[in-house]
Amino acid sequence: MSEMRSMNQRYFEDIRPDEELPPVEKLPTEDLAVEFFGRDNPVNPAFADAEAGRRMGVGGALVPGNLKLAWLVQYANDWAGPEGRVTSLRAVFRRPDVAGRPLTLAGRVVDLRQEDDRNIVELEVVTLAEGQPSVRGSMQVELPGRR
Amino acid sequence: MAEELESKITDEHRAFIGRKSDPVSFTVREQDANRLLGLLDDHDPRWAAGSGKAPPYVLGLMQTARRGAMPSILPGGIMTQQEWRFTRPFRVGEELKAITQVIDIRDRLGGRYGYSVLVTSSTDFFDTNDEHVAAILITVTQFDPKAARGSE
Repeated sequence: MSEMRSMNQRYFEDIRPDEELPPVEKLPTEDLAVEFFGRDNPVNPAFADAEAGRRMGVGGALVPGNLKLAWLVQYANDWAGPEGRVTSLRAVFRRPDVAGRPLTLAGRVVDLRQEDDRNIVELEVVTLAEGQPSVRGSMQVELPGRR
Repeated sequence: MAEELESKITDEHRAFIGRKSDPVSFTVREQDANRLLGLLDDHDPRWAAGSGKAPPYVLGLMQTARRGAMPSILPGGIMTQQEWRFTRPFRVGEELKAITQVIDIRDRLGGRYGYSVLVTSSTDFFDTNDEHVAAILITVTQFDPKAARGSE
């Protein structure tokens, strides 16, 4: 528990609409793209093979959409802190990402409310490749109150 | 002038809507949880090795449990939307039951694919007590690659 408390905890009362989450940079390497589903379980050959990705017209190995969603969930959970939790993520895939090109994760608070004794924060999140959104999403996060 | 829409969705396709798949088992494996923690460089103690919990994004591996009959209306397909919902944390080693159903099929005209069909399906995951654990909702855009415009 003491280890958990050493993480940065956010409290509902301290959050303001339009507050921005600090951006985080990720580098989706080809190995990450392949390893996400496991080398023994290639869901889509383009995740494992840069040549297959090029044949599909995306210029290299595809970054799995689920890897980007996993990063967004990690991003919001890290922001919320150990007593918060992500309860949902809804994402639209705007364009494919190619392994080797950095992604920036960014987010913003768009709504706050209390519902059934729960403190709910709505976030707008995005993955940016060369400044262009590749995934846009909305997330719901539950935060503890100070009292 | 508006393009005329000639739907390729038939009553046979619509009959898929609401039809639930047989349950498919999925085990939250420790090696998968640990592999993802390592890949994402995630040191969160809530789901660290030995905590008995798996990180929420193991849900991203569970699409292999999505086995329901999906109508194939057009030859190409790409996932365009996805939603994850978490009712409670995943426990390492637990066996979940996945039930998938098509919830919507609709036409779309315009964009890079010209005419396309959006097929939305959901998969709900239940534990051995039949309690809801998580859900995935996916929209796949089906299209005809021959009719698609070049990439933007």
